[in-house]
Amino acid sequence: MSGSLNGNSASSGGGATGAGGDDFFDQMLSSLPSPWADLANPKSPWDLTTGANAPRSGEDCGGYDESALLASRLRQHQISGSGSPAGAKPMMLHQMLMSAAGRAPGGGAGAGAGGAGDPSGFFPLPLSLGRDDVEGAFKSPNGTGAEGLFNGYGGGLPGAAQANNQPPFHHAQQGAPMPAQNFGGAAPNAGAQAPAPAASGGGAAAPPRQRVRARRGQATDPHSIAERLRRERIAERMKALQELVPNANKTDKASMLDEIIDYVKFLQLQVKVLSMSRLGGAAAVAPLVANMSSEGQGGSNGAGGSDSSLTVTEQQVAKLMEEDMGSAMQYLQGKGLCLMPISLASAISSATCHPRASASHLGGGPAAAATHHLIPPGPQAQPNSNNHVNPDGPSSPNLSGLTAQSAMANGNADSHKDASSA
Amino acid sequence: MNRKNPLPNSNPNSPNSSMQALHFLQALARIARAAPKPAHSARTRQIRHAAYASMAHSSRSSRRTWSRALLHRLRQWQQQRPGRLLTVRRRVRIVTPITSRPEEPARAETLRQLVPGGRGMEYCNLLEETADYVQCLRAQVQLMQTLLDAFSS
Repeated sequence: MSGSLNGNSASSGGGATGAGGDDFFDQMLSSLPSPWADLANPKSPWDLTTGANAPRSGEDCGGYDESALLASRLRQHQISGSGSPAGAKPMMLHQMLMSAAGRAPGGGAGAGAGGAGDPSGFFPLPLSLGRDDVEGAFKSPNGTGAEGLFNGYGGGLPGAAQANNQPPFHHAQQGAPMPAQNFGGAAPNAGAQAPAPAASGGGAAAPPRQRVRARRGQATDPHSIAERLRRERIAERMKALQELVPNANKTDKASMLDEIIDYVKFLQLQVKVLSMSRLGGAAAVAPLVANMSSEGQGGSNGAGGSDSSLTVTEQQVAKLMEEDMGSAMQYLQGKGLCLMPISLASAISSATCHPRASASHLGGGPAAAATHHLIPPGPQAQPNSNNHVNPDGPSSPNLSGLTAQSAMANGNADSHKDASSA
Repeated sequence: MNRKNPLPNSNPNSPNSSMQALHFLQALARIARAAPKPAHSARTRQIRHAAYASMAHSSRSSRRTWSRALLHRLRQWQQQRPGRLLTVRRRVRIVTPITSRPEEPARAETLRQLVPGGRGMEYCNLLEETADYVQCLRAQVQLMQTLLDAFSS
């Protein structure tokens, strides 16, 4: 059993706290009430089993639920800090308290409910190790019984019960709440707080020790600090998400998560719906950028009359647009052109990072095509008279073709790169 | 605190959205070129895949876990599509202990299913990825809406 104890102490979180709690424990044990004093001898913890029966028959075990917490926390600190020999004392003490607390399930349940009411609570424990930490741990217990115990312990506990009702619960929330078998539900605080990292096998004496060990260790060692930091980070990210999601109630985390989930579902549904509804007209936005170079070379035969043809095309498109946009789009598609808002075109061309293109290609203001902008096919086009489309003449179609090619190249490169990295 | 808080960027002319728009339009062009008159459902699916692909390729999200997972998922969809209707998820779950921490709320599992790549993440990172994913989704939806309005008005 001692072997399992040692193993548990090793696994409880190796926060190397100072051994300053030893003398503190001596103080505490020395000021113990009389039925317990004779048990305070540094022997194997299993000597206690006989002694533990004594307080069972005793009557003054009512208010020791919180004392159970205190002792458990103390013992955990002891175990994690100093090692076995000094840890025997707190273990014994704790066992006594546990057995006593087992007889008062009602009070313990009340204390446990009060303590466990805010599982997400994270309270700043003093980070200094050693004695200060022990004091800090002793700030946490809740209820008047703890204060009674403090008074009983006399000056050994400088940090008397401060109204901090949020014991280090973080590990408690991690693990499943400990089965109440050990405590008989008496101190669900302790049970919920300290899920033993190791299996709480063995006798009834072993699980309380493990539980206590885990809880106390978290109060002291960097794990609790890490936990706190983690909580803060989670809170920050929840706040950021709140800004993104439209209905930020700010009420609590649960409803906020629901909002976020609903919003993500809604956005995904919107993508789906939009992709369905875009089949009619917008799908005809075929040769936006990619096709222009290829189709431009294909359609190079129209070199001669393309000057006027562009104007004609424009007029034709304008006429068609008055009737039906779809037919206008199809007409353009047949010619290898496409229609797009100027803002989008400028965005695309700037995205391709082609300085010449962005300067010349879209230099024209919206004249005939009010908010639209005709992109002529490939490098073929001539010095045209459409000033508002290609002010630079022969260079710009080349640029547009180049833009198309570079855009395609960029796009392909990106997709290749991402595909390889994915 | 450092990279956790991306600006809620809904400006359609920003570089991020421009890259996204560019990719999407290119994908649309490819779709229209490849299959002139496909079935309705097939075209829908293609457009949807194109949307997600362009989201995953946007400059802001190319470093994110969800974008890689989304691309992976897309590839799975595209490969398995010609055969059956419903694809069986054969992903091996090697991260079960992480995903079932009692510390996180109950709905975290739902969120993990929604956000691509969410299963292998801790809760903390999951929230961050969700924020980025929501931003990209919103940008994508705005882009598609803009295109739709522009071409069908």
